[in-house]
Amino acid sequence: MVYIRRYWQLYALLLLPMAYFLIFRYGPMYGTQIAFKDFNFFQGISGSPWIGLDAFREVFANRDFFDALRNTLMLNLLDLAVSFPAPLLLAVMLYEMRSAWFKKLAQTVLYVPHFISWVIIGGIVLQVFGTQSGFINNMLTGLGFDAVPFLSDKNYWLITYLAVGVWQSAGWGTILYLAAMMGINRELFEAAEVDGASRMRRIWHITLPGIKPTVVTLLIINLGNMVSIGFDRPFIIGNVAVRDYSDVLSTFVYRVGLQSGQITLATAVGLFQAVVGLIFLLGANYASRKLTDESIL
Amino acid sequence: MEIFDRGNTPSGYTISDSYLTRLVQERFGDPNHIDVEFVPVPRSEEVQKLNVLMASGSEVPDIVFTYDSGTFNRYAEQGGLTELSSLLDQFGPNLKAFLGEDTLAYGQYKGKQLAVPGRRLVLGKYASYIRQDWLDKLGLPAPTNADELYATLKAFKEKDPGGVGSSIVPFGMSIASAQYEPLIWSFIKPLTEEQRYTLTQQLGSNDYPTLLPGFKDALQYMNKLYNEGLISKDFGLDKDKKKLWEDMQSGKVGFYSEDAGELYFVANGSYKNLQTNVPGAVMTPIDAFKNSEGKFAKPAYAPNAMYVMIPKSSQNAEAAVKYLDWMASGKNLFDIQFGVENENYTMVDGVPVVKEDATKEASDRIYNFGDIGIIVNGKYAGSDEKNEAAYIAQTPKEYQADMRKSVEISNTDTIAPVRFDHPIEAEAKYGSSLSDKFQEFIVKATIVKPASFESVYESMMKDYMASGGQAILDERTAAYKEMSGK
Repeated sequence: MVYIRRYWQLYALLLLPMAYFLIFRYGPMYGTQIAFKDFNFFQGISGSPWIGLDAFREVFANRDFFDALRNTLMLNLLDLAVSFPAPLLLAVMLYEMRSAWFKKLAQTVLYVPHFISWVIIGGIVLQVFGTQSGFINNMLTGLGFDAVPFLSDKNYWLITYLAVGVWQSAGWGTILYLAAMMGINRELFEAAEVDGASRMRRIWHITLPGIKPTVVTLLIINLGNMVSIGFDRPFIIGNVAVRDYSDVLSTFVYRVGLQSGQITLATAVGLFQAVVGLIFLLGANYASRKLTDESIL
Repeated sequence: MEIFDRGNTPSGYTISDSYLTRLVQERFGDPNHIDVEFVPVPRSEEVQKLNVLMASGSEVPDIVFTYDSGTFNRYAEQGGLTELSSLLDQFGPNLKAFLGEDTLAYGQYKGKQLAVPGRRLVLGKYASYIRQDWLDKLGLPAPTNADELYATLKAFKEKDPGGVGSSIVPFGMSIASAQYEPLIWSFIKPLTEEQRYTLTQQLGSNDYPTLLPGFKDALQYMNKLYNEGLISKDFGLDKDKKKLWEDMQSGKVGFYSEDAGELYFVANGSYKNLQTNVPGAVMTPIDAFKNSEGKFAKPAYAPNAMYVMIPKSSQNAEAAVKYLDWMASGKNLFDIQFGVENENYTMVDGVPVVKEDATKEASDRIYNFGDIGIIVNGKYAGSDEKNEAAYIAQTPKEYQADMRKSVEISNTDTIAPVRFDHPIEAEAKYGSSLSDKFQEFIVKATIVKPASFESVYESMMKDYMASGGQAILDERTAAYKEMSGK
């Protein structure tokens, strides 16, 4: 108590974020019970009758749900494999760069895509990858090759999806790593140079270990998000021809919950995602503590 | 009173205080000692906002509306709406006469009148359009059925009469229903009444032909066209017809089906753009798909529009019905839709024609007439013929002959939606999943190599049935048995 009285200003500062979490993160959890109720608009949440686990039974009996779940995991895993190392690589290369102005320029150019709305990216993708009027295919057909169905064949689409993801997010992730690298003691590099360590050695033994905590933290967070996926990217880049791959949990919830008004089902899926996400997060955290001694919990 | 806010209110007015809201207050509110208040709801999130209002109970307007039949059915099923039959008998004679039994039936849920459906005036949907100048150049007649069309498209592609080059699109396609429905429905074989009821699948507010005999032939035809390079290559990506319109306006498209008359409306400027881009381009409305019975079968709209509802929690149901009745009586609706004579419109042969040179002040008056005149979709000029004439008169003079032809085509041999006296539950449940599946079905079956068509068709059909198609079929079969008393 004495402690709190002495540092009351710091605690007062904490009030606002606490209030945010209580109101916007914990408050809505009240609505989670909709997953166990036959929700009726006119009777409200508390007035709707309980139905136990019926909603979950219905969700698990739905074939589209499993397709969506599989696609969500698949897209996220591939994204992790491709989009996770990309910013790391970029950050290391930028860090090694001598010319300061070029470094700044490259950094800016790389992270600009992060601020472009997916709707606009969707338009760009069509202009670039379209079969008939896309820029790449126009070049290919002009050179006498066959057009490549980048957007309408599901396997090609996967590549397009991943490539666009890297383009959009790599620059942003780079900033995080660069910030972490700024914290590395420069003397280590100088000492290594004096000892005659090559550039590769320096990267391997100084830079990478220096940012390991950041990498692990980001990895754990990414794994925790394995079952949740943004709505915009698959919805906008996807199309009916590749729905085998592009239908994910978020688009599934949109269709079932908002378009068909089955609020109960949508809530059940949301709860399912949260629970599985938590398991992934804790699992990754545990594994990382065992393997590398780094963890965030 | 609910009102859609489309964010297009002209300066000098607000959404809840404009020429039209004042007109309502003066003519309806004041004589009845009612203070009419308009509650704006953003058009783009209409359903979500309405849900919130309905759930609040006390703040909901006395009159609400939606275009979404699923939303209406849900409110009806959950018991949130006022029963209207006796109120309509008592206070709504003009309204009942205006709407007619056919339209009113759409507002019934399990025998109870729970909504007042708006009346839809223009029921025809589709017409097809072909580049007449290309036909003339090749000396070809206008195609009247799928086989002739195939030959024509082939000639377009090979002889390239417009000098378009390799980016030519003989048959403009998209994944919007206007582009593929006329084609598909022309392949549907003659149906018995029982087949019509049981095999049709109503998803959203449209009837889908997935299970009807002939659907497969239609896909096979599209597959053939696609693989011979006659159909827009990326049509599966074109959800909102944007690419199609772009290609059409730049003169690459030889033939396409579309909402009748879309081409001519000033707001789109499509035809004008085409003629500017390609001097001498002539796009002619035609009926290109004769079916096996020699008819140009194509779907039409059901005669209803918006669902106008009175929430159960409303204390003013009587006044609400009176308001709708007021709108349907005398010249009230007409004045709401057309504005002031000689300022907004002139009468030509008894038909109101919108003045093209109306002042901004005059046209601002009725900027949202469609959202105030909720009991009707389309402009009501007094009778069916007058409505049609007024509808055609909306387009620029030079296109009116083509517009008339388009409307005529869209009304030829139409197939009205089939309907049971109660909603099919499986349709509400699987509707939006299945309509997505349906598009997937069409796209996949069309773009696959001909050799794999069979297997793709089989697997998609299986998928469609398992995702709810079978459930709908079963429920409709049972409903038909019940209805026909077998």
